[in-house]
Amino acid sequence: MKTRFPLAAVLTALFAASFFIVPLIATFYFSLKMTRGELGFAAYASVFNSAAFLNTILYSTVASLIAILIGAIIIVPTAYWVRLKVPKLRPVVEFVSLLPLIVPPVVLVFGYIRLFGSNSWLPLTASTFGTDILLVVGYVVLSMPYMFRAVDNGMAAIDITTLTEAAESLGASRLRTITAVIFPNVRAAIISGAFLTFSISLGEFVLASLLNRPAFGPYLVQLGQDRAYEPAALAIMSFGFTWGCMVLMQLFATRKPGQRWLPRLFTRPAQRS
Amino acid sequence: MSFLSITNAVKTFGTNTVVKGFDLAVQKGEFVSFLGPSGCGKTTVLRMIAGFERPTSGMITIDGRDVTDAAPNKRRIGMVFQAYALFPNMNVFGNIAFGLKIAGLGKAETEARVKEMLGLIGLSHLAERFPYELSGGQQQRVALARALAPKPQVLLLDEPLSALDAKIRVSLREEIREIQRQLGITTVFVTHDQEEAMSISDRIVVMNGGRADQIGTPSDIYNRPRTRFVAGFVGTLNVLKARVLPQTARSVAVGGKTVELAQPVTTADASGLLSLALRPESLSLTASDGRDVAFEGKVKSVNFMGSVIRIRMDVGDETLSFDMFNSPDLVPPSVGDLATAHVASRDMFELSA
Amino acid sequence: MTLDASATRIEVRAPGPRLPMGRKLTWNWLGVAPFFLFAFLFLIGPVLYLVAGAFQNADGAFTFDNIIALGSPNIVASFSLSIRLSLLSALMGAVTGLLLAQAVILGGLPVWVRTAFTTFSGVASNFAGVPLAFAFIATLGRLGLVTVLLRDLFGINLYASGFNLFSFFGLSLVYLYFQLPLMFLIIAPALDGLKREWREAAEILGASRRQYWQLVGLPVLTPTILGCFLLLFANAFGTLATVYALVGSGFDVVPIVLFQQIRGNVLYNPNLGYALALGMVVIMGVSNTLYLLLRNRAERWQK
Repeated sequence: MKTRFPLAAVLTALFAASFFIVPLIATFYFSLKMTRGELGFAAYASVFNSAAFLNTILYSTVASLIAILIGAIIIVPTAYWVRLKVPKLRPVVEFVSLLPLIVPPVVLVFGYIRLFGSNSWLPLTASTFGTDILLVVGYVVLSMPYMFRAVDNGMAAIDITTLTEAAESLGASRLRTITAVIFPNVRAAIISGAFLTFSISLGEFVLASLLNRPAFGPYLVQLGQDRAYEPAALAIMSFGFTWGCMVLMQLFATRKPGQRWLPRLFTRPAQRS
Repeated sequence: MSFLSITNAVKTFGTNTVVKGFDLAVQKGEFVSFLGPSGCGKTTVLRMIAGFERPTSGMITIDGRDVTDAAPNKRRIGMVFQAYALFPNMNVFGNIAFGLKIAGLGKAETEARVKEMLGLIGLSHLAERFPYELSGGQQQRVALARALAPKPQVLLLDEPLSALDAKIRVSLREEIREIQRQLGITTVFVTHDQEEAMSISDRIVVMNGGRADQIGTPSDIYNRPRTRFVAGFVGTLNVLKARVLPQTARSVAVGGKTVELAQPVTTADASGLLSLALRPESLSLTASDGRDVAFEGKVKSVNFMGSVIRIRMDVGDETLSFDMFNSPDLVPPSVGDLATAHVASRDMFELSA
Repeated sequence: MTLDASATRIEVRAPGPRLPMGRKLTWNWLGVAPFFLFAFLFLIGPVLYLVAGAFQNADGAFTFDNIIALGSPNIVASFSLSIRLSLLSALMGAVTGLLLAQAVILGGLPVWVRTAFTTFSGVASNFAGVPLAFAFIATLGRLGLVTVLLRDLFGINLYASGFNLFSFFGLSLVYLYFQLPLMFLIIAPALDGLKREWREAAEILGASRRQYWQLVGLPVLTPTILGCFLLLFANAFGTLATVYALVGSGFDVVPIVLFQQIRGNVLYNPNLGYALALGMVVIMGVSNTLYLLLRNRAERWQK
């Protein structure tokens, strides 16, 4: 076979790469131009010095973490149960877990506002705390497809049914089995799903804006309308953050249970006696 | 004048030489098998004939025409793959008609030819089916029909039966041979299954480590293996250590006996040691005129395998393995019995390296 | 594994009291109850509420008025805009994604190129929303880097020649940033699934490269490509944050219209909002369902 230089392929790849990279470069460059006449990190400093930034980031972080927790608590046992006890329900559960993909966030929050509004049967929007709950719940729902898939894949990879049978044949109670055998083995999958959820929830705009909560998303939009250089800085930081989350998500998704965090520095010889 | 000839083909991938000088002349209408273990280079040679690999050096000619540098789609070769490789978006008819369509054959002729091929493989009733609706054996037959439809000069088969069940493998290989004979098409068949190769080939090329160890008819390969590898790979083999004796050029001591071989010893090493091989069927528990050597030993295992009973016995520190035909009034020996295995000295042959 | 078998197995193993099989079934279903309860309360419930509301008027009586009101010129224009933008975006994403995937996976480039694009695509497909809008403003906005460079280095005045980031085509370009990667990520495994033997079989039967793609390669890929197209369509249709951050509320795509309805709290006709929501869910639902169907068809072929 002759090896022709793959000109068309190289050009295509270069073109695509520049399409991806140029906006990032432009944004970064733009973000450095805050101080007139020179390139510097003034925009970044301005962002970090802003109370609004810190407050909203904190708020969103907390909301995301709670959403991850709730999501894990609901989904992990469900995924386990479905695999073990009611495999017939599996298609149904999977379908439901994918439903959020066809419900746009704006529709979802609209439904919340109407169903849980001030004069409804469960007026969650009447109080700040109630609205916060709605926001967190909304994040759980939005991340459900990804969380479920991550956990489900993790459980598939370790053949949960056989592990449970082995544990039970050795005398473990169901609870013991879950905590000692199942959970440690799907921990990585859960963390993987968590990173994806985190990345989605942190900068989320629609839910936060329509529920009027001081989250990071609305802050970003407001900043975009008021300022010129800080938004660019935030965009770069946001990209870096998303990148970090994805990398960690991948890392945890492909971790085998029990894999060491750090390479073994010292090898201890096996005890003889 | 051979129809398909490969001359001194060499193939190197990076620093790894996979095919180390391969020569073969195939006559028109001949069925030749490449037999060997994984990694011996047999598939690589086949792919060189097909044109998917370019030989690093060497030449390939078909019907007098040098095709070494020709593109695969210009060689007029038919090929059947191990994984069937039927096009999933076409039904059986479409698959078989593919080569004809490329060649620009008219609609009526295409239809006639496809019908003919379907009749040949006996699947006329499945013309409308799609590959995913067919069993493995059916898919492979369609693949065969597809390869043969454009009337190629040479047919290549790359381990076509390896992915199939044992029973189908046996019946399908007969079918392939029958079709090949009917059409008289020059065929090269790659396999790692020696029984497969021996049962349907005109000639076999036994390959080992990138080279052809031996080329010959099945009977040649089996009865007169030229190397230890060929002897061991094809059929089972008993190998006994022997020592040259000074009496004559053909005397050896083996298994505690003195034996006169049919040919003078040629493979003894410096200390006079050599290896002798015997095929299991040359051994028997019953004495007869021809069998002039008797090995005494103890029965180690007796395995009832249906029509055959496989017996292994210890002779000194070596083991002999042989079969006896099952028969209702036969009482096979028990484990631990003392027994005598008889063999003709002319059935014992030396193994070269 | 049938429920009966599992019930029997558990009965044999559990040292607890023996319960009749009917009881065991209830037990099992109870385990998934929290999930379904949550989903119903916070996902299915709200959506159904909206759907029901779409067919009610302010007094709660059944009516088609809202659905009919969807036919009003503003709303129709809005849906038309959304659909056109989504179609264009999906088409752009599908074509470019396929070309990129073909180049990177089958084009003879080193493996690290593919890995790089795959990793980047994983990030870029999630990098929608507000930060993406900012990035493009910094790039192709009136004072964006590329705009300025084109003007200063090449003398091309982008905005004078009719380009505007804050327009239909500008938006579709911004969408491309997350549509291309999404297409790439989904079509890549499908390209892997194109068995090498198919190409070789086609070649040995006399086909040229072009004929292989025309007769085998593309037909086999078509269900996946179409499915992806629909996925991209739905993805574009539901996008809100990016549009909002880029052009504010001036660009009347359906999500923005609904957003404004809710935001303005001037729901002088909340039921119209319901109808809009219903329209969105129907469109998204249909395209995603078709996507799933096509994906199943593709998987069946590549078995």
